[in-house]
Amino acid sequence: MRALSRRDALTLGVGTAAALAAPGRSRAASNGAEVEIAKFTGGKTAEPGRIAIDLPEIAENGTAVPLAVTVESPMTAADHVAEVLVIADANPMPRIATFHFTALSGRAEAATRIRLAATENVIVVARTNDGRFYTARKEVKVTIGGCGG
Amino acid sequence: MRLARVVSQTRLARICWRAGGPVALAALGLVLGLAPPGNAEKSGAAPLALDADASARPWVRYHGWPTRDSAQFNSLAALASPPAPAGPRKLDRPLTGDAAKGRVLVADRTRGGSCLACHVMGPAGNADLPGNVGPDLSEIGKAGRDDAWLFNYVYDARAYNPDTLMPPWGTNGIFNEAEIGDIVAFLKTLTTPAQYHDVLDDPAKRPTPVEKRDNLDSMVNPGMWAVEDKAPALWALPGPNGPACATCHRQPAQAFEAWAAAMPKWEPRLDKVLGVEEFVTRHAKATTGHVWLMQSEENTALAVYLRFLANGGTIDVDTQSAPAKAAYGRGEALSTRKVGQLNFACVDCHSPQRGANKWIRGQWLAQMRGQLDHFPTWRTSQQAIWDIRKRFQWCQVAIWANELPPHAKEYGDLELYLTAQSNGLKLNVPGIRH
Amino acid sequence: MAERPRLKVPKEAKKGEVIEIKTLISHAMESGLRKDDSGTLVPRKIINRFTCEFNGKAVFACDLEPGMAANPYFQFTVKVEESGTFRFSWTDDDGTVVTADEAITVT
Repeated sequence: MRALSRRDALTLGVGTAAALAAPGRSRAASNGAEVEIAKFTGGKTAEPGRIAIDLPEIAENGTAVPLAVTVESPMTAADHVAEVLVIADANPMPRIATFHFTALSGRAEAATRIRLAATENVIVVARTNDGRFYTARKEVKVTIGGCGG
Repeated sequence: MRLARVVSQTRLARICWRAGGPVALAALGLVLGLAPPGNAEKSGAAPLALDADASARPWVRYHGWPTRDSAQFNSLAALASPPAPAGPRKLDRPLTGDAAKGRVLVADRTRGGSCLACHVMGPAGNADLPGNVGPDLSEIGKAGRDDAWLFNYVYDARAYNPDTLMPPWGTNGIFNEAEIGDIVAFLKTLTTPAQYHDVLDDPAKRPTPVEKRDNLDSMVNPGMWAVEDKAPALWALPGPNGPACATCHRQPAQAFEAWAAAMPKWEPRLDKVLGVEEFVTRHAKATTGHVWLMQSEENTALAVYLRFLANGGTIDVDTQSAPAKAAYGRGEALSTRKVGQLNFACVDCHSPQRGANKWIRGQWLAQMRGQLDHFPTWRTSQQAIWDIRKRFQWCQVAIWANELPPHAKEYGDLELYLTAQSNGLKLNVPGIRH
Repeated sequence: MAERPRLKVPKEAKKGEVIEIKTLISHAMESGLRKDDSGTLVPRKIINRFTCEFNGKAVFACDLEPGMAANPYFQFTVKVEESGTFRFSWTDDDGTVVTADEAITVT
């Protein structure tokens, strides 16, 4: 039931994305986020830190939530962030995007807009060119509308 | 003769003939395919197709909206709701109810928003973001209220307070008596202050949302694509009668620098208040022949565009002339009419004396002033531009009332009243909102 | 992808400067989970890849999934060392590729 309501929650149309989300904060079994992260890191541990995630504390709805990610790095040819994975731990599909940076990027930072099905964590994992991993996460409350959104 | 027929049939040409020599000559030139006049704004009352449909006829509710028919309850056009009770009912037997069922019911958003839309209720349903339009009920179980009082208050609070905001859950058939019994049983278990999981869940501590997006940046607001791409293309598009908007209005940015800031306006030829959207429909039909019904993409794009051209201008709708005053009075009365199965008036949510500046579940209820300065608005939750008439229609359907067609005179009166609340503010269209 | 992509790229920059670029393209980004009015699932159709190259060299790219919002928007940075041309590309699930170019003068 809960998985179904999250699927419905990505409908665009009447009401907010969270309109059909079951009330309550306890989330069901994982949507596969951990598996995706493990695939990305090859099972290696990702160190917490070096990543700043800019997300609203409360999103008015889940259709276009602004996200900005910055990873501390000298961004030289020898030492730069190569890939950044963005995951949502309660979306129907956990992967949201993978950013690819190069030494020409100047800074390892990107901003975009994402879909969130319900209140959940956005998890970011960064990989450097020499195979180190860093991670950070942030919770976004997706507003439940008043009468009908 | 073709020339005579075209001249006599187009109102456009009639206006140009009336306006005088040089313009008449230019109109003749237009008809013959030569250089057009270009500044028709100066030549008197705009032609309007008075008999044409302004919106789809018959009016059919939008696809994807709730299909409930609420004809047995008040709308802005008709009164039909069951009357308020004279007083509280005596319970003919002791109240029984299942508190566990009640706990589910108070959080059920399919039942008109649920209680949590307006009330904090302790641990009800592990609720995220409860509202605070109504009092915090977390300790109602030890507030000294007996079963009959609790039952009657939920069944129909008008029995105690004729001026209440509470929907008449029983009288209007939203919850049946057994369910109200379950809700009362649950309320009686509420005896400790709410324990919020998160400071954001506490409506008293939740930060008021502030709209900070740059609504005029087309990278941020898809509503601006109407201004940058759609409307200019429509402006130049010739209609079935021959001309395009551009034929008579070659410099819209100058010509309409202030026009939209004075809309909506009383229109004597139609005996109603005319808003920008309906004006576009009737004026385009009368001149170009384009059929741009209200709520069509073309109509909405042009309505955004015409208001955008007046951005920065001070909103100043007429409320002083006799017909405008009367329309304002009607609009004000409509804003206080209880409509729908949930029995809400506009003022219940949008007047600072009632529900405005409070939370309805996780949404902030805005007051009336400061709304019409940014309509039409891009709605992120709908991924579409909504004008004010569609917003009215949605509010109606959301409170389980039947909406009216977009051109309804009641909506015109309400729009005039509402826009007047923003007199003095600057137009800033298109907005971007949830 | 009916509308033209929108780009915000500085026209000029200093050598070694890190400039900011913004891009936006109109696209419904159908996730494959949405039902239409008759209750039928609308098939997935998204832009799945965005790339930015400068003078033919890859600078920034993104693999997009259905969790990306409609009308994909990106803001990112580039360190410019020479004048040249940015080429942006958006690839749809159906194989269509839209590209757009912007020149920059670097002194």
